[in-house]
Amino acid sequence: MNTLSSLGTSRTRSLMPTGLVLVVGAIIVGVWGDQYTGSVFILALCYSIVTAGMAVQIGFSQQIAFSQSVFMGVGAYGVAMLNTHYNMSVLEATPIVLVASAVAALILGSVVTRASGLALAVATLMLPLIAVGYVSSAGFLGGAVGAPLTGNLWPGSTPEAVAVGGGLVTVVFLAIAVFIASRILTSDIGLELFVLGVDERTAAAMGVRTPRRKLELFVLGCVFAALGGAAYAGTQQFVPETLVDPTAELALLIMLFIGGRRSIIGAVVGALIIQYLQGAWNWVSVNILVVEGLLLTVVLLVDPEGLAGIVNTGLAWLRDRLPEGRIPLALKIQPVIAGQNLSAGETAETAEAGEFALQPVTVSIPVLPDGAAETETRTPLLAVTDVGKEYGGLSVLDDITITLPSRGLFGLCGPNGAGKSTLLNVIGGSVPPSHGQVTLDGADITRLPPHERFYRGVSRTFQAVHLIGGRTVLDNVAVACLSSHQAGLATRVVRSGLAEAREKASQTLDDLGMGGMKNREVSSLTLESQRMVELARALAARPRLLLLDEPASGLSQDQRRRLAVLLATLGERTCVLLVEHDLELVAQVSERIFVLSAGRLVFDGGPEDFRASPVVNSLLVGL
Amino acid sequence: MTSEPPSEQTPDPDPDPGATEANVALAVTGLSVSYGNVVAVHDATFTVTEGDACAITGPNGNGKSSILMGVTGMVRRRGDVEIFGAQARNGDVRWAARHGLTLVPERRQLYPDLSAYDNVILGCYAWTRSIGKARSSGPFSRAIELFPELKPHLKQAAGTLSGGQQQMVAIARGLASDPKILAVDEPCLGLAESVARRVYDVLAKIHEQGTTLIVVEEAPKRALTLCNRRVEVRNGVAANSRAGAA
Amino acid sequence: MKFGNLVIAGLVTGSIYAVFAVCVSVWYRVSNILNLAVGDFAMCGALGVDNLVRVRNWPLPLAIITTLAVVGIFAFAYDRIVLRLAQDGPRRQEGIVITFFFTFALSFFIDGVAKMLFGSDVHAAPALWNGQSLTWASLNLPRAGLLVLGCALIVGGAFWFYIRFTLGGKAMEASGENSLGARIVGIDTRRYRMLIFIGTAVIAAIFGIVESPITGYTYLSGATISLTGFLAAAYGGFRKPGRALLAGLFIGILEALLGGYVSAEYGDTVMYAILAALVLIMPRQLGFESAVGG
Repeated sequence: MNTLSSLGTSRTRSLMPTGLVLVVGAIIVGVWGDQYTGSVFILALCYSIVTAGMAVQIGFSQQIAFSQSVFMGVGAYGVAMLNTHYNMSVLEATPIVLVASAVAALILGSVVTRASGLALAVATLMLPLIAVGYVSSAGFLGGAVGAPLTGNLWPGSTPEAVAVGGGLVTVVFLAIAVFIASRILTSDIGLELFVLGVDERTAAAMGVRTPRRKLELFVLGCVFAALGGAAYAGTQQFVPETLVDPTAELALLIMLFIGGRRSIIGAVVGALIIQYLQGAWNWVSVNILVVEGLLLTVVLLVDPEGLAGIVNTGLAWLRDRLPEGRIPLALKIQPVIAGQNLSAGETAETAEAGEFALQPVTVSIPVLPDGAAETETRTPLLAVTDVGKEYGGLSVLDDITITLPSRGLFGLCGPNGAGKSTLLNVIGGSVPPSHGQVTLDGADITRLPPHERFYRGVSRTFQAVHLIGGRTVLDNVAVACLSSHQAGLATRVVRSGLAEAREKASQTLDDLGMGGMKNREVSSLTLESQRMVELARALAARPRLLLLDEPASGLSQDQRRRLAVLLATLGERTCVLLVEHDLELVAQVSERIFVLSAGRLVFDGGPEDFRASPVVNSLLVGL
Repeated sequence: MTSEPPSEQTPDPDPDPGATEANVALAVTGLSVSYGNVVAVHDATFTVTEGDACAITGPNGNGKSSILMGVTGMVRRRGDVEIFGAQARNGDVRWAARHGLTLVPERRQLYPDLSAYDNVILGCYAWTRSIGKARSSGPFSRAIELFPELKPHLKQAAGTLSGGQQQMVAIARGLASDPKILAVDEPCLGLAESVARRVYDVLAKIHEQGTTLIVVEEAPKRALTLCNRRVEVRNGVAANSRAGAA
Repeated sequence: MKFGNLVIAGLVTGSIYAVFAVCVSVWYRVSNILNLAVGDFAMCGALGVDNLVRVRNWPLPLAIITTLAVVGIFAFAYDRIVLRLAQDGPRRQEGIVITFFFTFALSFFIDGVAKMLFGSDVHAAPALWNGQSLTWASLNLPRAGLLVLGCALIVGGAFWFYIRFTLGGKAMEASGENSLGARIVGIDTRRYRMLIFIGTAVIAAIFGIVESPITGYTYLSGATISLTGFLAAAYGGFRKPGRALLAGLFIGILEALLGGYVSAEYGDTVMYAILAALVLIMPRQLGFESAVGG
């Protein structure tokens, strides 16, 4: 299916919305700039700058932080103060304010982004409250009255020139913001952000430096907000205290959600809609809370992706009804939408025959150099020594010692709650052990975060499927092939390594015989195929240690047979640790099996002993 | 996706010579259960006579639990389910509980912070709202009596009990609802062998006392020590087969 | 003495936060939605009664009953129409959207309606227990404050009794602990969800009526109260009503002490900063890992 990925380069795709904003914005400002309609439009543009940043931060990357209204205030008040007390023009003051905001956001963000998910939301929920309390009391900011400006965004001779000029400058600001946002989203780091939005743990396991990215996203949202605030101050010539109200934060969120939280253009449109409603009808303006509350509720009920989602669904509907060759280019263009996140179990219709053909695996995984003979005395690849994990007195893992060589397939079994997933998490790095050591190739990695382990060749899958819905198989696998992890967010305005990553992903998919599904959208695949995509993703990183968490879960007998064949070939090339409940499957493919019970290792041996062991038989039913 | 053709319902070719015209406790026809677009149960057709102990066996992932989920109304289904002749309401597990079919689900699904006592007495919710009536009722007392090893733990929070104790609490809760049919899903999941034997002893006793049993069990050998009927499930297709058949 | 009086005042507001926090927590366990509109229901109670009594000259008891009835009916309608669709309808909503934003929108919708009906001035329901503050051991006990504490004890006590000693109460607990397990024994978890939501709304309105004589409400007051109740529930990890209750009391007392000793103007600001810091320093102890829905 046509997705944006097939249409030109990243540069083209980010120029389109930017150009759209510039052209449309300039026309409207030019024609109506000095009238009431124009002033409403310009006001909306100021908010759009903020919501564009929110789309990247909240919409795509799911970093829910309520910091934007505060920083819009920082931008607005900052410009106002510099203007009235230091006689700076607004255009001069803006860059200063942006830098100050960036610094403030960095400091605040480094504290706040240590939290995730709901904790992050709750912690930042206080920001508007703190801000409004401070602002209304701080005399020099004008308190409840507000701060006036003497200068304008565009110093002109006539009121018309001032209005139109200010509007044009705002359009340019917005265009810059849209350009930066689009460039980031369509770059390789964009993929990092998408997978971060799907699941933070998965992102870390795939090499994304989650702490850094979260901080960068926070700063981005704040700086965009400050820019919007500066434009606001310059065009409205007055900064009211209500700009930093909690209601202001809500209004921003509503603008974002109504337009489409995963769409840059949607974010802009959302701001336009709300401002126009307020500007066009006085009744709406007076009762804006009612209108916003109703609108947000209705939009969420109809489509949580907002207008952009509705438009997208409509476009898809139209596409399905037109013959392939006659689809106008306009319909092939989807707004930059990542679609919904997949939750485990939501898959499409049953597989077409031969959806992927299982061929012998030819994935080139680094083979031991010739010098290192495969003797008994070679250093083990992974050594887990006396690892224990306690949660508040409750021991989940108890002195586990396991060593794995650089090749082979190993099974990890045990009843529910025995600690298998915890052990996998300790090896993968998302859970630090309470005591004990984990070494990889002799190097101590016990305290290493998951993304560092990824760089050293550890790759894993999870029980639940965590793919980026709305993207192709190719893009999802490319997540593991990115070379952008060390690069800063800002650099993606200039360059992007997405093409290279896609190349590598394409190679892996071909090797696995999955080349035919490269351009399929992942949410249209069956569960088995999705698990294969996740496996392909884990393999694309050319891992030296592959951790698989219940890969057979939810698969039928036939599908498990296919999986067993694949696993066997993998074991010949790299080290695979397999957590599974399907004991038949484990006994079939593993050369050695570990059994955990209540946190202790109760069995370590080959499949024959495994089947015969009374300990195992009493623990695990079904053999 | 199925590799075997669906079998039709075959009447039991070897009926118990001593049995009189017994009621059909549960009649399932053409049951089909899907989760989203993944078809878990394709076509299940079988009957359970009153007084039977029926085992639903088959390899993991073939749909056994889903059949029970569909029959008891935990998930929506297609096809027909009749409990003692009454058409079961689709997806309505409370209807089933009120009409004599109680499920003891896979992994027990207890209320971890409530005491074992409270867990069991909530089983009575199926037929009363009065805690007084529940406390002094026959089904509740019978449920408690059946598990003497639980007596010292009744005030303990259910989440702190061992796997075996939790399974007993779950069965006791099922019994407290005074069911005519008790459906147990994988009773021995994660339990040690000795504990599993104890669970089956209790189930046997319950069966002796007249309750119809349906047990989903992955290990057929153990189930057949208890059950006289069997429903074999393969690839989402299920039908009666002779008990004791290999 | 100042400290004692501040603590009393803190206990009064804290008990309200505590009750709201318990309501948020209990409902979250059953529905997985965070009720961010509690405070707004409280505000409606206060301003509604005030409007009926002061503007339309209704007798007080009738005004109270009518206001509570309207709040209850509105909550019922919202559950029926919006929440059913959101949770059980054809397009089931995902994680953070439903957890947060629906009641976020509701909160502001209610505020807007309140502004339409009651205007933007500060109002309060008439004091239910008139007279001078009582004194005891040199502590100043305002009557309205005592009334609030009394209500909290009654509501809390009734709820505790319901949970401990009736089958229905245990069934409600069960719904919150394991929805699947509850349905098996015939418990209608959806109905409990609705009942708790309506109960929350009505209880909140009652407290608004009783507490407003102390501080006075505007149509926007609800938002801050909602937030504080929500925060207190957060400190119980959203799933432990007992901890939420204690957190509510703690926040109330903290707020009073900060306002009295640090600064009347910046007291709240400092409090929010402290609360935010606590969330950041110890999210796991506060139960956040388990509260993250998706």
